[in-house]
Amino acid sequence: MSTLATRRARTTPGRSGAIRSLWVMEMRRDRLQLPLWILGNAAMAALAVTGVTQSYGTDAERSTLLATAIANPVILTFRGLPSGSGVPAFTGFLILPFLVMIAAFMSSFLAVRHTRAEEESGRAELVGATVASRRAVLWATLLHGVSANVVTAAAIAAAFLASGFPPGGSVIAGLATGAAGLVFLGIALIGAQLFATARGANALGVIAILVGFLLSGVGNALGTPNADLTRMESSPLTWFSPFGWAENVRPFADDSLAPILLLVAAAAAAVLLTYALQSRRDVGGSLVASRPGPATAGWSLRGPVTLVGRLTRGSILAWAVGAFLTGALATSLAAVVQEMGGSNPAVAAILEAMSKNDDLQAGTVVIFFTVVGILASCCAVQIIARARQEEAHGTVEPVWAASVGRRSWLASYVLIAALSILAVDAAAALGAFAGLRRSGADLALDVWVGAAGQAAVAAVFLAITALVLVVLPRWTIGVGWSTVVLATIIGLFGPLFGLPDELTRLSPFSQTPTVTADGVDGRGVIGIIVTAIVALVLSVWLVRRRPLVTAG
Amino acid sequence: MNTVISTEGLRKMYGRVHALDGLDLSVSAGQVHGFLGPNGAGKSTTIRILLGLARSSGGTARLLDADPWHDAAALHRRIAYVPGDVSVWPNLTGGEAVDLLVRLRGGDTRTAEYRAERERLSTAFQFDPRTRGRAYSKGNRQKISLIAAFALPAELYILDEPTSGLDPLMEIVFQQEVSRVSAAGATVLLSSHILSEVERLCDHVSIIRAGRIVETGTLADLRHLTRTEVSFDDDGTVPAGAQDLVREGGRIRFTMDPADMPTTLAALADAKVQGLRVNPPSLEELFLRHYGDAATTRRGSAA
Repeated sequence: MSTLATRRARTTPGRSGAIRSLWVMEMRRDRLQLPLWILGNAAMAALAVTGVTQSYGTDAERSTLLATAIANPVILTFRGLPSGSGVPAFTGFLILPFLVMIAAFMSSFLAVRHTRAEEESGRAELVGATVASRRAVLWATLLHGVSANVVTAAAIAAAFLASGFPPGGSVIAGLATGAAGLVFLGIALIGAQLFATARGANALGVIAILVGFLLSGVGNALGTPNADLTRMESSPLTWFSPFGWAENVRPFADDSLAPILLLVAAAAAAVLLTYALQSRRDVGGSLVASRPGPATAGWSLRGPVTLVGRLTRGSILAWAVGAFLTGALATSLAAVVQEMGGSNPAVAAILEAMSKNDDLQAGTVVIFFTVVGILASCCAVQIIARARQEEAHGTVEPVWAASVGRRSWLASYVLIAALSILAVDAAAALGAFAGLRRSGADLALDVWVGAAGQAAVAAVFLAITALVLVVLPRWTIGVGWSTVVLATIIGLFGPLFGLPDELTRLSPFSQTPTVTADGVDGRGVIGIIVTAIVALVLSVWLVRRRPLVTAG
Repeated sequence: MNTVISTEGLRKMYGRVHALDGLDLSVSAGQVHGFLGPNGAGKSTTIRILLGLARSSGGTARLLDADPWHDAAALHRRIAYVPGDVSVWPNLTGGEAVDLLVRLRGGDTRTAEYRAERERLSTAFQFDPRTRGRAYSKGNRQKISLIAAFALPAELYILDEPTSGLDPLMEIVFQQEVSRVSAAGATVLLSSHILSEVERLCDHVSIIRAGRIVETGTLADLRHLTRTEVSFDDDGTVPAGAQDLVREGGRIRFTMDPADMPTTLAALADAKVQGLRVNPPSLEELFLRHYGDAATTRRGSAA
């Protein structure tokens, strides 16, 4: 923050000056990260327009896709709300949930980074002892988060406007994205009050985003389509999710303002709750009191490997539960929708056909196991990133200063991450088989191939992150997560955005083995496994030359 | 006498900054060796290299006849280390952290001997092992590290400003523990900027400044290097050979070379001066001479 901020604080003494100083500091800290989030979000919007005009140029193509999506709950779960077959409305259907998701992640991480993470590190204590007082950090973070979302809204509106879309809808789409971002800003602020650690608060934020996304998607899939299958009315389930509110703005079709007001009201309520919670606790304290623990270490804490297991077991369990539910949806979603929805005869007919058609069901398994692969990759990257966090926090030093070699230290994280991938994929397979018992379809091979293939994908991200941890320690967390996000975007959206095949193939998610009529096509997976092995061998070899790299 | 720690011309660069600039440190078996220097002199950097946490940029370092970088894991079974700023795992209790650290050093925490030792240390340091790591104050985090270090015997104890954050009562417990392991034959390297602690505990001292050892030897050796301060009530007597003479507050104060002491004191006795006070040099003064504003340009090595 340095001179600029302090000088301002001096000329405007008191609380408002302190809040402004903190706000300026928060913007300075995020001067690289936030523009990337916002530009990435706007680029996503602009790329979607290009993709739609290239891939779905005619009204007939768009209508066909809408009809297929409305009939197929799997597609609809991972898209938005169909609102018509015009190019702008169709683009909104395809991309709006993901614009909201990016804004939500940006806001959620921002909130925790500037509140709970600061308290955890003890820096908030220094600030709280100044005229800034305990609450100034909350207000400054709120200002920072609101301005980030206002800029996001403007950037997305500008991206659509620049593509020649109608001004009203462009602005509404931007506002819906920004307002939904505010809701998740508020949720994360509440999480930062409830949990004593930034990791706990971030976990709550991420779970809220994923649950919101799925609620809205499944709610849409259960909705009521119109007669020509170009528009869907959301089912009540959708209205439990901020994603659902944002999608019901229906940019370029209805341009409805009311859901945006609902989003802003929800965000305001979350902030009021945060304020009330903060008044009830100490700086650095949480609302969940900690109890005395064991006086001696049990057998579950006997060496480097068990230590890593102990530190990460909570998050591994969370990822595995998510994978179990995803696996269960993979094999039972079609049946569920058929039972719950399907009042429209045209949809019922398509669903009927789908549940009989093994190809469609197999396709569903592939899509959902890609999600499982993303979950497993995130879990593995999180564990390797944990090694870097431990190092920056200072808790690797006592491990290295004890009789644990650098190789054993790295191996302990790699081993636990590899086991966690197996656990996440096994949980997904378990869920899938539970679903199969219900639907009775013969998809066992598809499930096994899906689980194994995605385990290989996750191993690549594990190995890449481990290599970065060894070679460029300070980049571990950034590079690890970025590769997963980039591979996801390229692998899942590459075809939509019309990216060249050579680029799409770079994503491990596009290289997973597939089940064909002749058996299993596993050509792509060889490259994945070779990459993983090379990166792992390199990192284990190079870690011997690596010194301890402390915070920074 | 065999050498436990020896570095020759040890260098460490952080970018263009010389953290260590040709450091020669030698610690023999059985010594309690004080490693003194102001903040930023390179004490912790030296210790990190000795522990294989950082790699030297030049020169050699040997520890217990092994290479501290390549043989780190094997060496550390014979070493106990206490850092000055202890980080603990926020969600492990203090007791779990102590046991874990001992196990990571290769110790067996199930023996009755270890458990009795841990119990004794917990009581002595007034340590509550059931609290979660995140709730410990700095002093209590320090105790976790100290208990883990002293609960399992080691050949070499490397202590990097180990008493920072401890209250005076706990400092006494710490000094007793150092005396205990020293009496049992262990070697101790104690880095500190607290001079009284070093004076009380150490038989040898090395002083580091700007990445180099500027003085080393026994405490007695180093005392020869400073001048004794003498003062008495101002009665107009000006002794011969007095340097840095100051007359203020009704007293005359000056310094002298220890070698001149018999003659000067005899002269003062003849003059029947009142309120005579003779202050032997403290490490404080050694320190000031090297790091204070009035520091001389001399940069020698005494032993």
